[in-house]
Amino acid sequence: MGIRFKEVSHEYPSYSKTMYKAIQNISLDIEAKDEFIALVGHTGSGKSTLAKHMNALIFPTSGTVEIFGNEITKKRNKKIKYNNIRQKVGLVFQFPEYQLFEETVEKDIMFGPLNFKVSHEEAKKMALSALNMVGLDKSYLERNPFNLSGGEKKRVSVAGILAIDPEILVLDEPTSGLDPAGKHIMMDLFREIHEKTGKTVIIITHDMDLVYQYFNRVIVLKDGELTFDGSPDALFRSDILESNHLDLPNTIKTLKFLKDEYKLDIDIYKKTVEEAAMEINEVMSDE
Amino acid sequence: MNSIIIGQYIPGKGFLYRLDPRTKMISIIFLMVSVFLLQNVYQLFIAFGIGILVLLFGRISLLKVIKGLKPIFLLLIFTFIFQIALNKSGDVVSDTTMHINLYSIGAVVLAFVIWRILVRFNKLKMLLFLVFVVGIYFIFRYITYSPDFYSFQFTIYEKGLEMSAFVVVRLLIIITLTTILTLTTKPTDLTQGMESLLHPLKKIGFNSEEFALIISISLRYIPTIFDEAQKIMLAQASRGADFSEGKLKDKLKQIVSLLVPMFIIAFIRSEELADAMESRNFVPGQKRTRINILTFSIVDVYTFVFTLLCFAGAIVAKVVL
Ligand SMILES: Nc1ncnc2c1ncn2[C@@H]1O[C@H](COP(=O)(O)OP(=O)(O)O)[C@@H](O)[C@H]1O
Ligand SMILES: [Mg+2]
Repeated sequence: MGIRFKEVSHEYPSYSKTMYKAIQNISLDIEAKDEFIALVGHTGSGKSTLAKHMNALIFPTSGTVEIFGNEITKKRNKKIKYNNIRQKVGLVFQFPEYQLFEETVEKDIMFGPLNFKVSHEEAKKMALSALNMVGLDKSYLERNPFNLSGGEKKRVSVAGILAIDPEILVLDEPTSGLDPAGKHIMMDLFREIHEKTGKTVIIITHDMDLVYQYFNRVIVLKDGELTFDGSPDALFRSDILESNHLDLPNTIKTLKFLKDEYKLDIDIYKKTVEEAAMEINEVMSDE
Repeated sequence: MNSIIIGQYIPGKGFLYRLDPRTKMISIIFLMVSVFLLQNVYQLFIAFGIGILVLLFGRISLLKVIKGLKPIFLLLIFTFIFQIALNKSGDVVSDTTMHINLYSIGAVVLAFVIWRILVRFNKLKMLLFLVFVVGIYFIFRYITYSPDFYSFQFTIYEKGLEMSAFVVVRLLIIITLTTILTLTTKPTDLTQGMESLLHPLKKIGFNSEEFALIISISLRYIPTIFDEAQKIMLAQASRGADFSEGKLKDKLKQIVSLLVPMFIIAFIRSEELADAMESRNFVPGQKRTRINILTFSIVDVYTFVFTLLCFAGAIVAKVVL
């Protein structure tokens, strides 16, 4: 077992007297290997809060999170090495500005490995391979991270976590703010990492097209509660989308429109634009 | 880290809330000067009594004020102890032998442990500390059952007692006055009042409006900066920089990893804010109107009269007595 949530709630102190419940009573199992999970939900539904529990950055205010055998509860336990947990579960934050600080990309990526007591040479090697993994070549090593474009910064921040070589990778909205091509490049990258190494990858996203195309498991949060945990196919065939403030993927939306408007006998559950186009072609030639 | 609320403004009713911020600021300056004019501890006690009456009259809970005093409580206790121990003039009030022996040291250790345990479960940390300090005095004084390693005379002089009370009460009054101001005035009202008061300085080239704007933007951004700092700390902790572990050299590196993003983000935020202000047609130095215009009312007049009476009283005390 990788990560197990047992009735986890987290309350933030708020300006008014009552505490603000960001997540409530979440129970969830995540395997240590071979999972590719999307975490979706409206803004403020508690996705980031849930993600921060996955590597013990914040502790539940009730319930327990079990991470690779370590029981994380409300109280800090002196016996648990929290740093080790963060080496096992890598979390990439939404905004790269929160973590970049060195004057070169190489040094910045090396920060993580060095904190985990990897030798200097080894860290250097890891930095280069992590950089290659995110699709940047070694000419970037000596560049200043602050002069990179938004997409490049994002990649460097992902490389900074990849270099730690965690068993489970959690990414908070890694595709937000990227152009459509950039989104697919990043998603292909994560999928490749997942397929090559068998690492479990958890990705927070708002993009239903990506959810439908790439993932085999999707977890839905609504107002801090877990409302769905299953395959994307099951999610998009269910009737809970609207109540969870979720949208259909564009392919389904388009095909559904054609089906309803022109009374076509068409299979609307197609993942990619190509598949959808083929389906339309077939139906049209039948007509 | 909990969210930090800057300024301790707590919404409420009562005349202190209705006062114009300018009245409050001017009055408090005058009252502080008056307190410094006072000569001896008895006058200060009178002033303290008047202060309490004002609080009661303004329907401000004394508990809240005491809470505001928390950060300086330690300072008050130490000032008190030092004054008593070091001031050696006037008549002797009490002269006792302090015994340092096996039993009394043991008792002190025990008291220390009890104090630390109680502190964990109790909110009245400072009161417990006070009890602990007084407790140590009594332990050294009365536990005499074994031979002393060392003993000394602890003498309290009249002047020492008086001076310690004098200094502590004066500090108390001053802090209470400023607490009243921050407790009953919104930060925005404070800056607006300040702007209005500093306005005459425009003649010598000091732009009070810009000054007030800078202050209010800074106040507005303090909680934001704390939030951002917290996020950065978590992001770096994700990369193994746990600030509670590691050697000194690692710690330095970790602090850099916090400060650099901090500055970068502060710059980004300030540029965004400048753009947002400009896109809403903000022009520095232009005359602007206010949603809330400060006006004096009859309560302000009463307050000024009261302040002037106090001030006059203090001057009389200084000159005549
Ligand atoms: N540090 C914090 N302090 C107080 N409230 C917070 C904090 N972080 C998040 N929240 C609140 O918790 C809720 C869930 O936030 P978050 O987990 O960031 O949601 P999401 O990532 O799904 O948008 C939000 O309503 C947010 O305002
Ligand atoms: Mg979020």
